[in-house]
Amino acid sequence: MGSSMTVALGIDLGTTNSVAAIATPTGVEFILGARGERVHPSVVAFPTAGGVIVGADAKRYRLTEPTHVIHSAKRFIGQNFRNPLVQLAMTGVRYKVLEGSNQQPIVLVRDRRLTMPEISSNVLLHLKRSAERQLGTQVKDAVITVPANFTDSQRQATKEAGRLAGLDVMRLINEPTAAALAYGFGRERKQLIVVYDFGGGTFDVSVLRIDGEIFEVLASDGDFFLGGDDLDRALAELLAAECTRKLRVDPRPHAALMMKLMMGAEAIKIHLSEHDAAEGEIDGLDLPGGNVGNLSFAVTRKQFEDLVSGYIQRTIDVTKQVMVSAGVTPREINDVLCVGGSTRIPIIRRKLGEVFGREPNTAIDPDEVVAHGAAIQAGSLSGNLSAGTGMGARDAVATGGHSTLGRGNQALPTGAVKRPVLMDVNPATLAIQTAGGFTDRLLEKNAPIPIERTRVFSTARDAQTRVEIDCCRGEQRRYTENEPLGTLVLEDLPAKSRGELKIEVSFRVDADGILHVRALDQASGARQDAHLQVLGAPMASDPQQTEGPSE
Amino acid sequence: MSARADVLLWAHRVIGRKGSQPHQLLEIDAEASPEEAQEAFHKAARLAHPDLHRTTLTAEELEIVTTAYGRLAGAYQDFRMQRAKTTRMPALRRDPAVDVGSTTVPLPTLRGVTVPDGRAIKPTASGASGAMSSKALLYYRKAELSLRRGELRGAALQLKLAIATDPQSALLRTALGEVESELAKG
Repeated sequence: MGSSMTVALGIDLGTTNSVAAIATPTGVEFILGARGERVHPSVVAFPTAGGVIVGADAKRYRLTEPTHVIHSAKRFIGQNFRNPLVQLAMTGVRYKVLEGSNQQPIVLVRDRRLTMPEISSNVLLHLKRSAERQLGTQVKDAVITVPANFTDSQRQATKEAGRLAGLDVMRLINEPTAAALAYGFGRERKQLIVVYDFGGGTFDVSVLRIDGEIFEVLASDGDFFLGGDDLDRALAELLAAECTRKLRVDPRPHAALMMKLMMGAEAIKIHLSEHDAAEGEIDGLDLPGGNVGNLSFAVTRKQFEDLVSGYIQRTIDVTKQVMVSAGVTPREINDVLCVGGSTRIPIIRRKLGEVFGREPNTAIDPDEVVAHGAAIQAGSLSGNLSAGTGMGARDAVATGGHSTLGRGNQALPTGAVKRPVLMDVNPATLAIQTAGGFTDRLLEKNAPIPIERTRVFSTARDAQTRVEIDCCRGEQRRYTENEPLGTLVLEDLPAKSRGELKIEVSFRVDADGILHVRALDQASGARQDAHLQVLGAPMASDPQQTEGPSE
Repeated sequence: MSARADVLLWAHRVIGRKGSQPHQLLEIDAEASPEEAQEAFHKAARLAHPDLHRTTLTAEELEIVTTAYGRLAGAYQDFRMQRAKTTRMPALRRDPAVDVGSTTVPLPTLRGVTVPDGRAIKPTASGASGAMSSKALLYYRKAELSLRRGELRGAALQLKLAIATDPQSALLRTALGEVESELAKG
């Protein structure tokens, strides 16, 4: 790479792990950690000894200073503290989460109050600095991936995290779409694919049509609070029961004990992906009363599968539903991509095989493919892309030589290459409140983005000088059953008889999946632009925002 | 620099057609197949997707292209939804179990505002369901859908069907009168 080239980073900012990469003429180059690892734990530690530690090193403080180690921030970012899901997420962490301004969740760690974007900005800054060290050049631009079902406020908060890390976030792209891009770029083929993305904390599934450089998402759905962590927790509950039976101690009220069991559960889960049974001992359990105990366990794969089958079935149901939304049948699907570490679990691949009548694609690395796609999009947006960057290019060249993906991949001529066109979809139906507490839909879920819809309304009362437009997100007919997004107010309208005043309301969802609403009085041209301020999201003027990343 | 000129010309053409029917914006036949619509949309995307012009257009120009592309995406979505609705219609007719009589059918009215485009038929929500038979209400509802899509002819047809099942309803006649006078205006 010439030193004059700008480097744009593609970042998969995950719940448990993050991966970053840049596009090169022959593929992508992953950003490595201190020990040469490509996967960076999304963990930020604030140890008593001082300083801020990010990544693999931060993870080591989990046992010694659990309340100073912030992990899974993605489960809180851009959420309303009062959301029951946030309350649920709080049961899975040892650090303190409080309600901050604008109902956003904030972390209290060693007397410091940090917003979730601030926590995530530490992870992003860590990646940025690692990249700068590795590449020997400044990194400013980035593409960050988010779950396809992320809301407006979660997206805004993620962008904010990027900004705090000193990154210019050129684009947020959806994780399944990024995976599809890595898979299909350079392939020059017409294909219908499904991306099944089961990560540490979230589940997404998308159906895409690939036609040359066009990547059109036909439908996407998911479950924001379903991930590998849930499988660990189910297994940890099983271990807890064993602990109660064998050691006569119920570990559930003891957070430190449960944390150990969770870590044990994760190891067992990974072992069971390769083996039919896991047998062993979890030692060094600090029991109440000062004793130290060892817990022996024996779990078969069958036992584990029965334990988690409810979660797996839920993902399969969503997958079938999304096929219906996309208007395609399983038989039409040319390939099924598995993304996210949890897809290594054999029962998941088996179930997907049953649905589609074909084995899911195993050639892609489920941990790295999303960052790979983000790197391609980053390269494309910064005008820096070669045909060899996609995984699909492998099909076009003879295998052999070195590859960042561990597969044959030779240099292709750089230069003329069609930039990919990503056509993603609106993640949720957006509507406004109408008379009687019902909703009127302005933008449907799965509509292509960026998109703009304009509707004209007229006043119903004589001399009406003020109009309020309540916006919400959700599929329900009743306004109150949906998630409120905010209210747009048009005031000081000229007093006219009813029906005479025409008001134009535009909803625009940009390519990042973020909503912008605009109301316009057609006659006077009086305009009201609104970037809906959602409760739970950080506010632009929030004094807590000034602190920035603390590395 | 012809690519730049091409996309700007295209954007101005789309924006100039504000208020057109979805198929007109997509530059396809009103009866085009879903595949033809998709092809038209992909063709426009290959030319004008804002991402392709991020590094070559000024911020102002990019805004124009983004607006035009967004409107075209809206038109594509409208076209697909119209298709989905017309194919679902017969199923609705075959299902007499739908108890429309018990559900209130609110006209699309904002808190204190009437839609769409001010040319809506304006009985009150409760009045609509109370003033006609459930069968007629079904047609009335379809007329509403047609109106939302700006299809006056379709709305008139549905209202005539409603009147055929419920000849007593003054409300339906008023509604039909309003729609027909709109039609006469063109």
